[in-house]
Amino acid sequence: MQAIGSPEFWIQQLINALGLGSQYALMAVGLAMVFAVMRLINFAHGTVMMASAYIGLLLLQRGVPFPAVALGAIAGAAALGVLLERIAYRPVRGAPDVALLLNSFAAAVLLENLAVLLFSPRSRPFPMPALLTRVLHPGGNLFLPSIHLWAFAGALLALGGLAFFVTRTRLGLAMRAAAENPVAAQLLGIEIGKVTLLAFAIGSAMAGLAVLFWTAHVGTINPSMGFEPVLKAFVACVIGGFGTIQGAVLGGYLLGALEILLQGFLPSGIVGYRDALVYGILILLLLVRPGGVLGYLEAERV
Amino acid sequence: MRPLHRWSALVLVFLMTLAACQPAAAPPATPTAPAPPAPAATPGATATPGTQGPIRIGAPFNLTGGLASIDVPAANGARLAAEEINAAGGVLGRPIELLIRDTKTDPATAATVVTQLIEQDKVVAVIGFTDSDYVLAAGPICQRAGIPFITVGATSPRLPGQVGDMLFLAPFGDNVQAAVGAEFAFERFGKTAYLLWDKGAEYTTVLAKYFKARFTELGGTIVLEDTYQSGDKDFSAQIAKVKALPQQPSFYYISALPDDVGTIVKQFRNAGITGPIVGGDGYDTPLLLQVAGPAAENVFFTTHSMLTADSPNEQVRKFVAAYKQKYGTEPEAVFAALGYDTVYILAEAIQRAGSTDGQAIKRALESLRDFQVVTGVINYSPQSHIPQKGVTVIEVKGGKFTLAAEQVPQKVPTP
Amino acid sequence: MQLVSPTRWGWIWTLRALLVLALASAYLAVEREGNAYLKRLAILFLINLMLVTSLNLFTGFTGVFSLGHVGFMALGAYVSAILTLPVAQKAVNLPDLPAPLASLALPFLPALLLGGSAAAIVSLLIGVPTLRLSGHFVAVATLGFLIITHVVLINAEAFTRGTRTFSGVPPYTTLGWAALWAALNLYFAWRLKHSSLGLQLMAARDDPWGARGVGVDIARTRLIAFGVSAFFTGVAGGLWAHFLTAFSPNAFYFSKTFEIVVMMIVGGMGSVTGSALGTLLVMVSTEVLRNLESGLSIGSLTFGPLYGLSQIGLAVLLILLITFRRQGLLGDRELRLEAIAERLELWLEKWKAALEISRARKADPS
Repeated sequence: MQAIGSPEFWIQQLINALGLGSQYALMAVGLAMVFAVMRLINFAHGTVMMASAYIGLLLLQRGVPFPAVALGAIAGAAALGVLLERIAYRPVRGAPDVALLLNSFAAAVLLENLAVLLFSPRSRPFPMPALLTRVLHPGGNLFLPSIHLWAFAGALLALGGLAFFVTRTRLGLAMRAAAENPVAAQLLGIEIGKVTLLAFAIGSAMAGLAVLFWTAHVGTINPSMGFEPVLKAFVACVIGGFGTIQGAVLGGYLLGALEILLQGFLPSGIVGYRDALVYGILILLLLVRPGGVLGYLEAERV
Repeated sequence: MRPLHRWSALVLVFLMTLAACQPAAAPPATPTAPAPPAPAATPGATATPGTQGPIRIGAPFNLTGGLASIDVPAANGARLAAEEINAAGGVLGRPIELLIRDTKTDPATAATVVTQLIEQDKVVAVIGFTDSDYVLAAGPICQRAGIPFITVGATSPRLPGQVGDMLFLAPFGDNVQAAVGAEFAFERFGKTAYLLWDKGAEYTTVLAKYFKARFTELGGTIVLEDTYQSGDKDFSAQIAKVKALPQQPSFYYISALPDDVGTIVKQFRNAGITGPIVGGDGYDTPLLLQVAGPAAENVFFTTHSMLTADSPNEQVRKFVAAYKQKYGTEPEAVFAALGYDTVYILAEAIQRAGSTDGQAIKRALESLRDFQVVTGVINYSPQSHIPQKGVTVIEVKGGKFTLAAEQVPQKVPTP
Repeated sequence: MQLVSPTRWGWIWTLRALLVLALASAYLAVEREGNAYLKRLAILFLINLMLVTSLNLFTGFTGVFSLGHVGFMALGAYVSAILTLPVAQKAVNLPDLPAPLASLALPFLPALLLGGSAAAIVSLLIGVPTLRLSGHFVAVATLGFLIITHVVLINAEAFTRGTRTFSGVPPYTTLGWAALWAALNLYFAWRLKHSSLGLQLMAARDDPWGARGVGVDIARTRLIAFGVSAFFTGVAGGLWAHFLTAFSPNAFYFSKTFEIVVMMIVGGMGSVTGSALGTLLVMVSTEVLRNLESGLSIGSLTFGPLYGLSQIGLAVLLILLITFRRQGLLGDRELRLEAIAERLELWLEKWKAALEISRARKADPS
């Protein structure tokens, strides 16, 4: 077992950490986007992912070519996000955060059970084109699933694109203004309702994109598939700092690295405690730096 | 106080509407059953523990929640069997009425549902569940009421000892299939193994423990032992550890649930691990071939029987075709066949007992010998309420399941 | 209290008597032979009532959301179950149990109290650092605690059997035990709410700066509420364990958390009687919907099995409630017999007056 310390092993785990981190980052970006505008931890984000995957599968079964399937799944996710905003969140705008959070919980339960009724709870295979599932062997004993590269590129693109959007475009600036001070933004003529809707659409579209890459890695979809991802996205956001896109991306990478590190290096007797350690570190981080690594959100102390 | 008033009125109306909707007299579970006499009667009123009307069998399953993907196929198989039996004239000249109930992957609900089935619906026997938590929550209730209970898929060999003499298992115990897995792999592949299991599920944990016990007893060595958590879908860290081993083991024993099997095999193969992968009956799902595709070659697993459409066994072929026709998919997991068999086993016992009395059914079950069902031959005895079945080893070859061996373990780890 | 008129007292005592009578007859009806189903539901209701009331005791009174209470429930369940498990069972099921525990089988009451105390001690350990944080962060930290508890239960196999079912727990929980503890829990929550500590908690919830201004030590008061709440949650866990007699770590996770949070929200955060109302309403509608799932007919229409209907119904109920009546049925007010008596009296007077007017009209039609 001496090989575990070898440089090759380290490089392999680095690749794994970057790949998993990219996946988590993509999942977290959409959650952060919605949080920034609405102060809502949108637990239905994961069920939007699930629904988007089923839309993709239905399209695929109709014989639609893959690029159109991908676009359809992403558009479907965005539409579902907008729908959720209208039905479950807009009526409770201005309510305490907890009311919004609970509504998102309820929406998640509702959608998941609807999916069970519509599609049955069984897992279904989701065939992906070879472009996404190929594995590269860059040398030695190393392996690099191409989906890691795709997710990495996706995360970078999301980070760059969204950063450009919120700093350089009118709508993006309006969104930031609405996020920072809704009242002042409204006085300046920004339509908060519209901006919120837009944030939901973009955030949910990101969920659609994230689930595409995630499904390529996993190979199957089922009605409860959204739960783990939303939990990971949530933790990533907390680690990185809730409400910022950079924070979400950084948090995703940190969480991915932490999980791979613990899984890879803990002895087999205590590797089962991996998640306990992850969440223990999360709580410690909250105590030391409640705003997250990058957070602007200053936690009040009592 | 005003809004409260309005609201309580609203809630009342809501509840009254619900109460107004009478439960259907004939659950669509058994459409072939003759139409019940009074359509608007409540279940409590139609319950006839006597000698007329349908024979009521309780069938609690976790049809929603975390265990749904395993329990739904089991319930589907049971429903199919009940329909077939009714089409063929029923049992003791009476149709079977299978009362399928969802227990929501919640043990408290499971206990409540089983109590209700026994007390209000007057079922004569209970079948169901694929997980020990639920069998152990519901089993004592059946035991106290003197109602025979056959579990469809819970495979812990200690269950009969924990619950009592009214409990029977339809599948073999996990110690049996783990022993066969260990013996087969030891003979065929060699003395070193890698062991990976799902730490969040009982079945996978128990299977891995029994495998390890039997394999080390045979003189094998586990070169690396690793776990993952239920819900994990990325296995790259575990794979990197395997690849860093100075020497690859003779085979990889991976104990996983049906939902994860395809994903794990795919990711292991993608990383360039080509050695034989061995597992338990969790692998007996079309997902293995659908998700892993050509990567599933050189995978071996222990299971109840060859459940393929081209199986040499006619009973199996008939079951697979009927299932596909009814549900539009091949049996999702081996639990579909176990659910199907359980109803046939119970029907046979009731027929032989000649009555629906709990003790009579129990005695008939205990004297069941060489009863051929889809998942093998069933033999119970007063000493053993776990069927002594042979274990089938399946190999994935040429993109399909092929028979590798059929064997009985030389030695079974003590439960 | 001096302001209450003698006739009002009469009303109040009548109502009290009626309430006691209703509870007693419900108890007797459920205890009768052949009502095992109702009895199970009644015990489950009382245990859920404890879980909801004690969650409310912390979250409702302080406004700080705890998502980790089911973790305390798990602690209470496992600790009390390990303590009461007969020695012979221990030798078979828990062979690796350390020596003093292996030869120990306590009666029910001490085991319950120890289970509750274990939960309370753990709650103080995690409460001291985390309760200083503000609302959202406490929710995240307690969620982390829930997950950590789950992982530890799965891995501490010598004590819990890991994911394998922990079975053979003696079925000690009777309706009487559950009723006793639930009453105790309600009484405690009620007294706490109307004590100076309760007033401090709610002042800190509604206006933290103002409360601090008048000298309320927010972190300390929160910690006390957290500890008391965890103790009762732990006891409820112990009752649950000795009611079901078999369970595994998966029983104490997100779905149970969601269930009790919904019950609390429906009843009203900060209301003791609201906890009872919320628990009752959610359990009744879940049970009714569940009985309809396997097929129902409305008139001539028949719907096929719709498994999952009760979860969907509950989710819709929650969304409607939060949209139209955010504070739950009662908000943080209480259903008080005094208030009901007052309303009854007013209503009766109005009715009398109306009667007199109509009589006067009849007597003098002009």
